[in-house]
Amino acid sequence: MNEDRKRILDMLAEGKITSDQAEMLIDSLGAPAEPVPAPAPSPSAGWPSGPSAGGTPKFMYVKVRSSGKDTVDVKIPLALLRAGLKLTSLIPPQAMEQINESMAASGMSIDFNNLKPEDIEEVIESLREMEVNIVSTDGDNVRVFCA
Amino acid sequence: MNAVLWPLAIDVRVRERTTDKRGVRIWFPFFVLWPLLLLLVALVLVVSAIVDLALLLSGGRYHRYTLLVLSSMRLLSQTRGTHAHIDSDGSLVDVDIY
Repeated sequence: MNEDRKRILDMLAEGKITSDQAEMLIDSLGAPAEPVPAPAPSPSAGWPSGPSAGGTPKFMYVKVRSSGKDTVDVKIPLALLRAGLKLTSLIPPQAMEQINESMAASGMSIDFNNLKPEDIEEVIESLREMEVNIVSTDGDNVRVFCA
Repeated sequence: MNAVLWPLAIDVRVRERTTDKRGVRIWFPFFVLWPLLLLLVALVLVVSAIVDLALLLSGGRYHRYTLLVLSSMRLLSQTRGTHAHIDSDGSLVDVDIY
């Protein structure tokens, strides 16, 4: 490319072409744009962008985008949530008391003893229509949805 | 009840974006542990069934250890499809359970 330009400038210097012609020739060379490297595909590139309109959602998605370019993408099977909640109803009472105490000490006063199997199904059903979208003033964005 | 299929493999990738190093990737074929796990679960189920029976006969208020073991195995199987991607401060962490 540089050789072509040099040749045109040489021709101009030798008076073989006019300055207008030289300009036209240089323009016609039209430096092609440098190929832009494609960004590395994110593992979550194929994920849905929001809750599914119909059908049965199979996964819960948690997406965090911070203004500091930190990103967190988590995909959890809903069946795992269901199995986990069902497991809580089978934990021995002594162990459950300890779990409840530990959670209360951490600021989460959830009593899993009150969680019944029918409640679990209701929770799962509710999750299907749930969408949490938090946008902070810092530009951080947290989205939780099922699809 | 749906079929219970334990995870086939676990893939963990850790990479530092700022350096040229390729990072660390651990691909663990979990299915090689299946026979061992099956043996262990069978043993635990026998013990838990005996404990449950003993608790039931003695009037114990809790005798569902067998169900607890089965549910735990089910929980393990439902982890398939879990994916986590964390990109923070130039560090990339990806965890996949297949």
